[in-house]
Amino acid sequence: MLCQNCQRADATTHLKRIANGEYTEIHLCAECAAALGVTDVFPGFGGGFGNLPGAAFSVTDVRRAGNRALRCETCGFTFEDITRTGKPGCPDCYRVFGEKLKPSLQKIHGRSAVHTGKIPNGASEDTLREHRITELKEKLNRAIDEQNFEQAAQLRDEIRRLSAEEAQV
Amino acid sequence: MSTGTNAKTAYPQGDTVLSSRVRLARNIDGVPFPVRLNATRRAAVNRKVCETLQKAGKKMRVIDMSRLYPYEAVALAERHLISPEFTSGTEGRVLLLTEDERISIMLNEEDHIRIQAIEPGLAPEQAYRNAAAYDDALDAGLRFAFDNRLGYLNQNPRDLGTGLRVSVMMHLPALSKTGGMSKFASMIAKLGMNVRGSYGDAASVKGDIFRISNQVSMGITEAEAIANLKTLAMQIATREHTAAADFVKDIGVRDRITRAEGVLKNAMLLSTDEMMEMLSWVRLGALYGLNGADPDAISEMFVSLQPAALNVTAGAKLTSAQRDELRAEYVRRKLNADGE
Ligand SMILES: [Zn+2]
Ligand SMILES: [Zn+2]
Repeated sequence: MLCQNCQRADATTHLKRIANGEYTEIHLCAECAAALGVTDVFPGFGGGFGNLPGAAFSVTDVRRAGNRALRCETCGFTFEDITRTGKPGCPDCYRVFGEKLKPSLQKIHGRSAVHTGKIPNGASEDTLREHRITELKEKLNRAIDEQNFEQAAQLRDEIRRLSAEEAQV
Repeated sequence: MSTGTNAKTAYPQGDTVLSSRVRLARNIDGVPFPVRLNATRRAAVNRKVCETLQKAGKKMRVIDMSRLYPYEAVALAERHLISPEFTSGTEGRVLLLTEDERISIMLNEEDHIRIQAIEPGLAPEQAYRNAAAYDDALDAGLRFAFDNRLGYLNQNPRDLGTGLRVSVMMHLPALSKTGGMSKFASMIAKLGMNVRGSYGDAASVKGDIFRISNQVSMGITEAEAIANLKTLAMQIATREHTAAADFVKDIGVRDRITRAEGVLKNAMLLSTDEMMEMLSWVRLGALYGLNGADPDAISEMFVSLQPAALNVTAGAKLTSAQRDELRAEYVRRKLNADGE
């Protein structure tokens, strides 16, 4: 898709908005988007633009992943379907294609980022414990960065205790 | 510390921050994302969510998006109660809305469930608490798709983690009119946040109103994301205060402010663009004691006099000329009454 402003470069920023009482979609190239002050930190935000540069999942990821046609049982998607549409078909796709999605997800969220926020009620004991361990490890890193070794020692003991519990299960 | 011009508005940091908004994206485990669902399965999602909320004693208005006139749907987006894309492809989409409109839940948007809470002024914590109460209520009756490492499993991989977007809508006339915002944009991006115009198309920001939002939802807690955004909003507010203090001393600027007031108090026709521009000047003047207008009332007019909103007020799709007349009439009445 060409940029609606310059009509030359590929559009990578896609805006969906309301103007003059109507719903409109606006497609801009990176340069025009920057010039117009509408640059997204992540281009292609909210879109399913599998083949465009900066898209959440790119075609190179497919090639790297090979051609085994593993299918998600919940929605019927193959990995290729995800890269074609730029979106997984259901939550289970993240589980089924977890390893293959990893490089793309790391591109978005960074290498080491893991969820540290709210946990739903239905989460298992295991999940809760693992989550707590992740949280503590982050605190531990921070404590070490701040040279707060006393706190770091406490955190390390707590992590060991939880990890031991986990091993027993 | 700059206290700014808070005294003139009823809301926290209300001189610069018009509203705070949070959005939580959630999906039901084992169910394909809405784009892969047919009408029957979308309806099943809607029913399940409504039943769960009912059981939790949460009373909400149920709005079937496919039954609205297009302008009615667009008016909801103008008020920021729904996303722009929720107004198109409305089959099987339902909006749940509390009486006071502070909580809205979009069903079958990009995700099964998008909970949104809005508060006036700088109050993202309160907005989050309100949204979280509905999240908890839904969590009690539904199984949310969740992964220990990836967090909430949402359709857009950028929404993994907390599924939280926090944003503030800010009126920044001095920064915007002196060209200070463009310098800010790259700094804001480096902090993992995003800034864009809240109204108007891609090419122009209307009314000097900007939306600043977090972009990072992974590896960060809800409280951290909210605190980060709040800190940034306060910094921007301080810069606006500094810029405005000099800006409003300029005779040229004062001239623009008084002329804008003259236009709004006398115009017989007022386009959206002209209204946004003139209201921005008058609101700036009001904050610095240059006129008697009420800043909060102007904040409200930015929203309520948008095109589709006027159609809703009139109960019919008006022509652009009819809207301009209605808009001018409303603004004249409002500003002439305030001044007395
Ligand atoms: Zn272009
Ligand atoms: Zn799937």
